[in-house]
Amino acid sequence: MTVSSPAAPASRPRPVRNSRGGRRRRPLVTVVIYLGAVVFALWVLLPVWYLLVSSLITPAQLGVRPFPMVPSSITLDNYVSLLTGSTGGDAFGSTDVGARLVPAIGQSFLVSTVLVVLNLLLAGIAGYALSRYPFRGSRTFELTIIASRVVPAIAIVGPFFVAFRVLELLDTPWALIISYNVFTLPLAIMVLKNYFDQLPHEIEEAASIDGAGRLRALAVVVLPIAKPGIVASGVLIFLEAWSEFFYSLVLTNQLTVPPLLVGFQSVQQFNWNSLAAATVLAMIPPVLLVLAFQRHVVSALAAGYDK
Amino acid sequence: MSTTTVRASRRADTPAVRVGPLARAARRFGVRMVAPSALLLVVLLAIPSLLTVAYSVHKVPSNGASLGEFVGFDNFAVVLSSPVFWSSMRTTLIFSAGFVVLSTVIGLATAVLLNQEFVGRSFARALLIVPWAMPWLVLGILWRWYADGSVGGLNSLLLTLGVIDDYQEFLADPTSALLLTIVAAVWRQASFAGILFLSGLQTLPAELNEAAELDGAGIWGRFLHITLAWLRPVLITVTVLNVIYAFLQFDVIFAMTQGGPGDATQVLSILIYRQLFVVTNIGLGSALAVVLGGLALVGGLVTVKLLYSSESR
Repeated sequence: MTVSSPAAPASRPRPVRNSRGGRRRRPLVTVVIYLGAVVFALWVLLPVWYLLVSSLITPAQLGVRPFPMVPSSITLDNYVSLLTGSTGGDAFGSTDVGARLVPAIGQSFLVSTVLVVLNLLLAGIAGYALSRYPFRGSRTFELTIIASRVVPAIAIVGPFFVAFRVLELLDTPWALIISYNVFTLPLAIMVLKNYFDQLPHEIEEAASIDGAGRLRALAVVVLPIAKPGIVASGVLIFLEAWSEFFYSLVLTNQLTVPPLLVGFQSVQQFNWNSLAAATVLAMIPPVLLVLAFQRHVVSALAAGYDK
Repeated sequence: MSTTTVRASRRADTPAVRVGPLARAARRFGVRMVAPSALLLVVLLAIPSLLTVAYSVHKVPSNGASLGEFVGFDNFAVVLSSPVFWSSMRTTLIFSAGFVVLSTVIGLATAVLLNQEFVGRSFARALLIVPWAMPWLVLGILWRWYADGSVGGLNSLLLTLGVIDDYQEFLADPTSALLLTIVAAVWRQASFAGILFLSGLQTLPAELNEAAELDGAGIWGRFLHITLAWLRPVLITVTVLNVIYAFLQFDVIFAMTQGGPGDATQVLSILIYRQLFVVTNIGLGSALAVVLGGLALVGGLVTVKLLYSSESR
């Protein structure tokens, strides 16, 4: 938690700098800083703004050159037709392409939520044990799951495909709930382990003197204090699961949102306006979630990757 | 900072506390708690990885139902003698070099900038998170259309600025297509790097900079000897992650160009995808996947080595 809120830490130790900042340099530095800030804001915002505007205008407006960065009029039609499933066209053999978006969003939520619950449970006890009850081989285990990052998804998806075909799990949320553990579980274990490392040990020591069992101490004493870390890990797991594209592409028939968006791209009748609206809908949950828990997520991220 | 030291000393103390008969019970408890996760990862991660390695030395039938005939390193021999592989390797290395350097440098520059005081800083810091929160695939689609030749925002921007005379099909040109996939991927990864760098910078004691300033160190000197030195552990982590992400990148390129035009953006992961799921040559695709995993591992290790040795003067 040393990495705290945006505004808090910097305000404290600056007075020396200000008084001494140097008459010559200060104005120039200020100009450079603001110039940099503007460039940075444009770098991030221009593509996002382009996407937002595209989703809010008609195909006719989209054809205008140069692109209307400030459109004269906006419409919600693209969103309405997507959400009501009336985008027209009958590619894919389904009656309506757009009609698949809402169910896909539902599946994405389902898969991500189940994974969050499952992984918090598994990674919670594992991360806690790695932090407090190290055993012979626990360090090796940690290094192995860190190193597992280099395994390409494409290198393990083949066996998954074969196994799921035999088990008849292809094109079900289970295929994803099972396979996503490959990357969400190691991440969750490392983030939680590092988070538990930061909590003082006295809390459970006091509890165990009272005769509480180790698991009871974890549930009753540690968990309430660890809430920020657990929330942050939950957000990270959700994000990873929501964003996953490759396994879903291979193991399902566009069951979740990302592969469906790619499917939209290859449909002729599906114009960029509708796709833009679908893309906005796909990025709203993760972006909102991260912004809402910005502070926790950033510190968990910083801790999670610091080995 | 004081909290960090307290924490560090505590961490160092604790193992010593657990001696005697309780220690074994504690360790057994640790094993039991880690066992479910470990078991799951063995089944889901280790076994499929080993299977792929096994596939790579067999002539696997295209339905993948059995291993097929053992062929030793034949698949690797085919891979290594194939011009398609080497051209894909070259593309991968160009993509990776651009991705790693730009993500790290832009991330670092952004973090240093957002660590200064200016009006609107909290807003800027929220902005830093946005690209990172976006799914790779989503930003691939976003940049695919942003770079589009008829309705793209990039064309519009460059036209307005007078850089180009008319709309260009950027993604139809091999050079600009590769460049744009790099820029798009960097757009997200630089934000991830920036978040980690900024967290590191926020723990940098202001006294260090002040002392150096009193000693007459200039901005550049302070950046090199204080900021960069302080960020060294973060820099190593970020660069290693960037290298791994670079080699394994798939989503952005798949969404933007699917490896095209021609094979201009066909990095190894795209080539493997085609081998496994379009041509369904599982043996060959698996051999390629083993090569890619090895490349990511070696790339990560070499980066660690380089960064550690370059700084240990």
